[in-house]
Amino acid sequence: MIKCPFCGTNQVANTIFCSECGVYLLEDERRGTEALDVDPKNWSDETANEVLAAWDKKKSGTIVVRLKIGEKQREVETTLVKSVHLGRLDPASDVFPEVDLTNDDGLGKGVSRRHARILKRDNHVVVEDLGSINGTFVNGKRLAPYIPEPLNDGDQLQVGTLMIEVSLG
Amino acid sequence: MALADNLAVANLPPALNLNIKVSHQYMATQFEQQAFYVLVDITHTPDLPKLRLPLNLAVVLDTSTSMQGVRLQQAKQGVQQIIDQLTPEDAFSLITFSDKAKVLLPSERHVDKARSKAIVSTIQSRGGTEMLQGLLAGMQELGVNRTPQSVNHLIFLTDGQTYGDEAACLEKSEWAGVNKISFTTLGVGADWNETLLDQMAMASGGSSIYIDSPREIAEVFKTTMHTLTLVVARELSAKLELSLGVNLVEAFQITPYITRVNFNSPAASLGSLAANNSKTLLLEFRVQAELCQSYDYLMKLNVEGDIPSQMDYQNWEAAEIKANFTSEPAKNTEIPSVIVTALGKLAIFKLQEKAMIDLEHGEVVMATQRLETMATRLLNMGESDLARSALLEAGRLARSGNLSAEGRKKIRYGTRNLSVLPKEINRD
Repeated sequence: MIKCPFCGTNQVANTIFCSECGVYLLEDERRGTEALDVDPKNWSDETANEVLAAWDKKKSGTIVVRLKIGEKQREVETTLVKSVHLGRLDPASDVFPEVDLTNDDGLGKGVSRRHARILKRDNHVVVEDLGSINGTFVNGKRLAPYIPEPLNDGDQLQVGTLMIEVSLG
Repeated sequence: MALADNLAVANLPPALNLNIKVSHQYMATQFEQQAFYVLVDITHTPDLPKLRLPLNLAVVLDTSTSMQGVRLQQAKQGVQQIIDQLTPEDAFSLITFSDKAKVLLPSERHVDKARSKAIVSTIQSRGGTEMLQGLLAGMQELGVNRTPQSVNHLIFLTDGQTYGDEAACLEKSEWAGVNKISFTTLGVGADWNETLLDQMAMASGGSSIYIDSPREIAEVFKTTMHTLTLVVARELSAKLELSLGVNLVEAFQITPYITRVNFNSPAASLGSLAANNSKTLLLEFRVQAELCQSYDYLMKLNVEGDIPSQMDYQNWEAAEIKANFTSEPAKNTEIPSVIVTALGKLAIFKLQEKAMIDLEHGEVVMATQRLETMATRLLNMGESDLARSALLEAGRLARSGNLSAEGRKKIRYGTRNLSVLPKEINRD
């Protein structure tokens, strides 16, 4: 038996979240993100209008986001319903990014727990930096925090120093 | 040996594909009882052809007075978009209901799109909301053109409460479930009965959707239709065979949205599977090592589905789930992050459930506290809109002892949709 530190109820061994109050019960060794010397690559960037115009041609409907992550090119795919968060899982602080970059050396590559999110806005896909320490880049251009920028098929997304290839379909 | 190596898959993979992750690869023998979580991802085997099945579709529209204005205009636009997407093999019918039901477009294939859309544009609103009439007429139309291959579906839109015929509506929904007709029930605004619409959808093996802004109606129709055209498996069901010492505590569907799954009946019914979506289940067990460590497996899971595009119609896939028992607890590897994420979101959904139960029992203070905790967690998770709704409702609850009809729906459907689990693609 383990005792929930938040509400005091007894929980069976190996329980991950308290059945009464929902608090995370495991000890956690996840660390905060360190600031890195991030060197953006200056690829030429399309203007926002060009990207939006390209998207206008595409019919609206469900958008599938496919990401190829890091050197290992790990691939994940999700249908964009609301938003897809990118970051590092930290259940103790209620951070549950849909795309958890912990195992892509997220910590070493300066990925914040709450780093960026990809979302749909008026049938366009945009990416927003969530005030991350080491920044979010689209094709080498650093995003201003909390200002969503268009994300296009084939774009190179960079979170901290982790490179992610984006395909949208 | 890693547990993944231990997952023995019986038979060759047919049309359904099971991907199973467990929370603990090693279980300690010294605990009297311990928690064990299993995440099951059910997908259509990617290499198989995805044939678009013929639809047998009925749309049942509430045209009571309250639908007047944007709601009706959007609903009409939504129906017209559905008509645009029909193929000649699809059967379509349209029923409107207020005090009485009216079959506006009787079920037929080779729909004359221009004519049908013109008829849709003439719909006007008047009268009250008698749901059962509309439902009966819709189901009757679905009986006309059904075939063994067709996806039989009824889209039901309402913005109001029905009085006196709730039990009959539910009974008909159960009948529909048994007869392979699923419902999408859509509720617009704040005044409809979410318990009833949820139960109807669930009984039929379909889903219910809350539309908070009338401007979204047409888009929801379009998305619903799109998903129907991607159905590859119907009548999915899962069965568990547990070893001695293993007990199921709770079972949830996590994607496409969170809902409880009932394994008590002979098999848990999981509705249909669309090619672009997986169905993910999260099961929580209690394991008594003493009793089950000598068995070959902790449980057997069997998933079945009706796949009309396959020659033999019945398709199934099974897996044995095993665990290694050890007296050295330090051996455990990290819990898969997808399980932690799913459980974290589920914890919010369950807080919401508990708050509603507290409220039913008159425990206003407790319910308020839960909503406040929920709001804090949601804010941390970056779900600021939902957090705001939860906080507003917590305040309202503390002041007045009640939730607003709208807030109740926002919280219920908002927490249900928290779970977007991305799919890992393995290229071997």
